[in-house]
Amino acid sequence: MSELIGETESLCPECLKVIPAKKIAENDNVYLEKTCPEHGHYKVLIWRGVDDYKRLSSYAPVPSKPEKVAVKKDNIVCPLDCGLCEEHRQHTCLVVLEVTSDCNLKCPICFASANERYHYNPSLDEIRKMYQTALDNVGHPICIQLSGGEPTIRDDLPEIVRMGKSMGIDFIEVNTNGYRFANDIEYLRQVKEAGVDSLYFSFDGLTDDVYMKTCGRNMLDFKLKAIENCREVDMGVTLVTIVSPDINLHQIGDLIKFAKKNIPTVKGIHFQPLSYFGRFPIIPKDENRTVLPDLLKEIQRQTKGELTVDNFIPTSCTNVHCDVKSMSVLMEDGSLFPLTHRAMGPPKDTCCVATKTRQEISDLWRYIDEGMESGGGGEGTWDEFLQRARTNYLTISSMPFQDVWNVETERLRGCCIHTVTPDGRLIPFCLFNINSVHGKTLYRHEIFEKYATKG
Amino acid sequence: MEAKFSANAKDVMSKRGLKEADIADVVNTAEASNRKLFKDGVNLAKKRIGEVTMYAVYDNNGEVQTAYSHRMVLGEPVKTTDEPDLSDWTCKHCNERAVIGSANMSYLGVTRTGPAIVCPKCSDVWIEEYLATMTIAAAEGLFEKKKA
Repeated sequence: MSELIGETESLCPECLKVIPAKKIAENDNVYLEKTCPEHGHYKVLIWRGVDDYKRLSSYAPVPSKPEKVAVKKDNIVCPLDCGLCEEHRQHTCLVVLEVTSDCNLKCPICFASANERYHYNPSLDEIRKMYQTALDNVGHPICIQLSGGEPTIRDDLPEIVRMGKSMGIDFIEVNTNGYRFANDIEYLRQVKEAGVDSLYFSFDGLTDDVYMKTCGRNMLDFKLKAIENCREVDMGVTLVTIVSPDINLHQIGDLIKFAKKNIPTVKGIHFQPLSYFGRFPIIPKDENRTVLPDLLKEIQRQTKGELTVDNFIPTSCTNVHCDVKSMSVLMEDGSLFPLTHRAMGPPKDTCCVATKTRQEISDLWRYIDEGMESGGGGEGTWDEFLQRARTNYLTISSMPFQDVWNVETERLRGCCIHTVTPDGRLIPFCLFNINSVHGKTLYRHEIFEKYATKG
Repeated sequence: MEAKFSANAKDVMSKRGLKEADIADVVNTAEASNRKLFKDGVNLAKKRIGEVTMYAVYDNNGEVQTAYSHRMVLGEPVKTTDEPDLSDWTCKHCNERAVIGSANMSYLGVTRTGPAIVCPKCSDVWIEEYLATMTIAAAEGLFEKKKA
């Protein structure tokens, strides 16, 4: 029994040609099926649970198109003419700005294929131009993630941060492996003082065998030291955990426990199911994939129901099948009290959630501060609950990136996380990184190589 | 008694998303049942309408001065060991001076306490405006805004 539940376009994993694709429901799974006239037929698992897949459509965002787009021409072919164009349906909510392609590690798994082929290290002037692209095309509040490569190999990172803040960027986070922050607390302090709001910190597991697979070396001690240093300088951290059934799927319950123990330094965990782009160890089969429902079921099982599948809802910012998020307050007895539940239904106002969210949350804290002044605090009161919620909360989220196997142009057009390029474009993060089985990208290497120093 | 709305009340109600018909219903129900608090020519009435408890503060001519609401469900008053302070309000139904007490309030499965005006005789419970629009609204907001 198979049922056609949607049609879209995808890419051929061999030649990156745009080819039609069908979404097929079969045995309670959803598959993406596509055929390249030259390279044959592909069928990839994209979801488990057909009803769940369909139900999530009620969380679909009211699209809010970008106000300005860089690519204006006739006969656009999505996704080959990206930058964005007028077909793009969602504005930018996070801009990824890569400040280097170099890294102090060379991990067997790396979406950026860092430390290969060329050295891309944009000058301060080129970085200024990329900040300006964000300022010209994206509405406030503008959130930037400085990424790479490993941003901390640049000694001028504090300067890069100060420049962004002085130009009017509202929020800056640094995507990091934490290695330098573990070894150099003074550098961490400088980065903090320069205005970095939080770290997006890769943290794949609680044992060294996990890091042997993800980083090719023992890293746990450095990871723990980096968190200790962040606590010392009061830097908030989101743990970013790659998830793969072949590596660490069995550890996610323990990772959530670890995060709880490290609140409030740790603000959240972002689970990142392994995507097959950049450097990755294998050509994926369905059993190597963690689709979102797999992850959520494991969270429920491994936390013994402290968090359930239903506590995770789409952010209603990007495509509803791209991400989920939960928020919880850590209670007095150490348990998580989830604030999110699918029983509450989709948010009333899904329009422009992206730009509103951060502002609303910061408004809410202010609001709560005022709320606190009403008095009547003490054990078991709502006042005390609010006080806890302000400092003792944990966000658990996930966004599996699309790779050349499972990519849908429809999802790309709804994307709100965009890489800014030195030639003045904004390109959906997944699309920017997607490569063929031969390592050819549509954007990453083609663009960065032009701006790189060879070597 | 027919509820009337001052410009100020209309303004506040529009900001808080409250409908005139609902607040008029709150006033009418209170007047018909005598379930309300009063002090110095001012009345405080409440009614659960749908998923929301709505409050009206109005004078003896039915002119509404302010209105507010909360979604939390009010539970039983909580007994305290100390002798509670008297409030300015009197329960119309019992003709008894209400006290400043504490009551259970539940929202989405969580029950905690908060300060409330309590009639010691009939144990009816009212939330004052400052609490409904500050602490309670912030707690409700936590549950709702964080959905995004």
